[in-house]
Amino acid sequence: MIELIPIIAIGLFTGFLSGLLGVGGGVVMVPLMSLFLGIEQHLAQGISMLVIIPTSLAAIWQLHKKKLVDYQSAALFAVGAIVGAVLSSNFVQYISGADLKKIFGIFIIYSGTRMILGKKKIKPVEKNA
Amino acid sequence: MNSIMKKIATGFGVGVLSGLLGVGGGVFMVPIMVGWFGFTQHVAQATSLAMIIPTAFFSSIVYSLHGSVDLKIAMVLAAGSMFSAALGSRVMTRLPAATLKQLFGVMLVVVGIRMVIA
Repeated sequence: MIELIPIIAIGLFTGFLSGLLGVGGGVVMVPLMSLFLGIEQHLAQGISMLVIIPTSLAAIWQLHKKKLVDYQSAALFAVGAIVGAVLSSNFVQYISGADLKKIFGIFIIYSGTRMILGKKKIKPVEKNA
Repeated sequence: MNSIMKKIATGFGVGVLSGLLGVGGGVFMVPIMVGWFGFTQHVAQATSLAMIIPTAFFSSIVYSLHGSVDLKIAMVLAAGSMFSAALGSRVMTRLPAATLKQLFGVMLVVVGIRMVIA
């Protein structure tokens, strides 16, 4: 039932991006899982959440040794993020995310383009705080 | 104190957004850490990973309670991703900040396009 090779390949690809770019990798993993493994969106998100934990741990070891991790800031951001995510996931059924997603998608494209072009000041992508 | 509140508030805003949009916090956090908090690209990315661990831990608990997790697939994925994540972060420490920023920018554009189209 489970095809090992494509799953491992997806893991290898997202893990590398995660370590290289400092993101969880869910953004890549979820669409790849639905595309190549036929896993439905909600289950793919649940799986990706779980995979992100050991992946980040493996990546962070190198960065920890190079003293690149600001643990205090990470803890503060995480406290806020956990509360925020819990709140929004309980309200997400009342708000349609579709339009919001398009608006933020445009913001993200804009800030990504600025990063590629190497402008000095990067505009913040959101002002929700 | 002020900076502590600012960081918690920023995390909160990003948490609300990522819950709403289904996009991980790192996509928002790295540019914010660089743009608002003056972190270097390397420290921002490393700190983003450290922040993701507890956040994903709590989200996994929520997902597990709803029963939508497949442990077998997760373990096979993790076997591959842990190996290459160690490699990816090793490459990351050797890249200059400007290159890293450009690579991150490419990822943002791809993610953004997906958000607009999907």
